[in-house]
Amino acid sequence: MTRSSSGGVSLSGISKHYGAVRALDDVSLEVAPGELIALLGPSGCGKTTLLRSVAGLEKPDSGRVVIGGRDVTQDPARKRPIGMVFQSYVLFPNMTIRDNVGFPLRMRGASSDAVRKRADELLALVGLSEQADRYPHQVSGGQQQRGALARALAPEPEVLLLDEPLSALDALVRVRLRDEIRRIQQMVKITALYVTHDQAEAMAIADRVAVMNAGKIEQLDAPAALYDEPATSFSAGFVGNRNALELPVVNGVVRLGEALTANAPAGSGGRVVAFFRPEDVHVGQGGEAATIENVSFQGLLTRLHLSVPTGGEPARLWADLPSRNAAGLQVGGSVPVRIDANHVRIFPAE
Amino acid sequence: MVHLGRIGRWAFFAFIALYLAIPMVAVILYSFSARWTSNILPDAYTLAHWGEAFRDERMRNAFWRTTWMAIAVLLLDIVLVVPAVYWQRVRNPKIRVFAELSAAIPFVLPFIVIAFGILKFMGRSAPQMLGTPLIILLSHAAIAFPFLYWAVDGAMAAANVGRLNEAAVVCGASPLQTLRHVILPNISSGLAAGGMLVFATSFGEFALVQILAGSRFENISLYSLDLLLNTTSQVELMAVLTILMFVVLFGISVAVVYLNRGREGGFLPGSRALVTEKNE
Ligand SMILES: Nc1ncnc2c1ncn2[C@@H]1O[C@H](COP(=O)(O)OP(=O)(O)OP(=O)(O)O)[C@@H](O)[C@H]1O
Ligand SMILES: [Mg+2]
Repeated sequence: MTRSSSGGVSLSGISKHYGAVRALDDVSLEVAPGELIALLGPSGCGKTTLLRSVAGLEKPDSGRVVIGGRDVTQDPARKRPIGMVFQSYVLFPNMTIRDNVGFPLRMRGASSDAVRKRADELLALVGLSEQADRYPHQVSGGQQQRGALARALAPEPEVLLLDEPLSALDALVRVRLRDEIRRIQQMVKITALYVTHDQAEAMAIADRVAVMNAGKIEQLDAPAALYDEPATSFSAGFVGNRNALELPVVNGVVRLGEALTANAPAGSGGRVVAFFRPEDVHVGQGGEAATIENVSFQGLLTRLHLSVPTGGEPARLWADLPSRNAAGLQVGGSVPVRIDANHVRIFPAE
Repeated sequence: MVHLGRIGRWAFFAFIALYLAIPMVAVILYSFSARWTSNILPDAYTLAHWGEAFRDERMRNAFWRTTWMAIAVLLLDIVLVVPAVYWQRVRNPKIRVFAELSAAIPFVLPFIVIAFGILKFMGRSAPQMLGTPLIILLSHAAIAFPFLYWAVDGAMAAANVGRLNEAAVVCGASPLQTLRHVILPNISSGLAAGGMLVFATSFGEFALVQILAGSRFENISLYSLDLLLNTTSQVELMAVLTILMFVVLFGISVAVVYLNRGREGGFLPGSRALVTEKNE
């Protein structure tokens, strides 16, 4: 089961247009051997197109795809050293789970003994041994995706490609299978690209996360770095459920009453957008008086929707505070708020 | 809808059953009748016509010819249609318009018109083909393929062939391997239904055979017509023949229905899954 090592993936200058739509805009990406990179971004940003270009299911207009040191740009999908798991279950309905897992090996002419041995090995790895002789429609969605994962791994590909493999599953199964995929990926030490639009999923599973927007990779970073230090206003807005406030710059300083004072970054014009996470809004520890518009209890945390008066339109933001500190806060009431300037990311407004 | 009571429903069902059964029963009785005058049932029964029919070499030949022709037409159409529809669905959706237009022609033009068209065309370009089994094979394949086309196309849509194909491709399967191991098993019900219609179309076809080959390729339809035209005493033979044809076609339909029982997607275990899937 364990293997010497799988190769890395190197993408350079990949562009793809569909008519006037620019699905991929000069994307380059280096995936180290054994690394799992999550492609994270909103719907339509080009995640699937990028993954399919690696698989060879989509032919980019330009760019190079190198897998395990071999340039496969001109190779058709079936000749590439890849394994792929799709969003919706595409196990072959006419075959048992075991036959599905053995399929890639049979297509490569492996002997039936070898096929069966390897299939059973993989089924054990993904925890499907008991369902081996069932047909896909006789097992659950999560089990089908385990089967699809085993099938993708069967021919020992250099890279594993997963396109939102969990999005058709319900929340509980999703988290469990996510961790399972990560465990197996690390155990097999296979290089992997994992497409998702769920930031929590991307953060939990990946070594590094590539945030995509409009056909480009905006930022490529380890989950913690991405969470704390978004490099662009897009990543700041997309990752971490941040507040986003558009504020004026006066004498190089960004200010929200007594709640926030921060230096504007060099080169920002008259207006900036300040991003900050709801847990970095401190309530009841001095600052500017804000009106409580809504209080929503969420277990450990309580989320407050606040409105801070400015000269014109009031600034709206939300704050998360430990629920035990939220007792006595009433809708319509007033509390002082202060935003921790060390954790505010400021970008020029567009 | 009119709501029939329990009795009403049974009466209605009985009426339909009778309406369908009486001609068949009459034909069966006729094939066993020695003499049938003005009574509601034959005056006397005999096995003579059945014996005669099976001894009649001309009839045996006609039956045999018709059967193998229908099988050949079916095989040719499968070989032509299945890869074409597969290709159209996974690679080149643009040929769809062309395929659908040509698949509509046999429904729009009467067979007799098509037959004359082929006759004119072949008469000019390859007259030596006329009267050969080959021309019958080709023209039957041409008029019957739409039945297979629509059935296979529908089955491929239902089985989500595009997605199955991609899954097979990333597993390293070649197009032929994909077709054989993944596509065909998942469209088998459509293949069977369409195939039956193709078989039946060729099996009972009259106009093209008559015009393009005539007595040089005497199939059951031509032979039946001959029986009817020649002498009145041959009508019992005709009854035997009718029953035989019915049995063949009915047998095939029953087989198709039986193999497909309880399945929407295909013959094979598990092939229902994609049809019932709710994704996308
Ligand atoms: N076959 C196609 N024909 C035309 N346009 C396409 C095609 N496939 C993708 N696109 C377009 O390319 C862009 C990127 O699509 P892609 O499927 O890669 O997005 P995605 O990030 O995977 O989105 P999602 O999260 O919704 O799956 C979109 O604007 C989409 O409309
Ligand atoms: Mg996608």
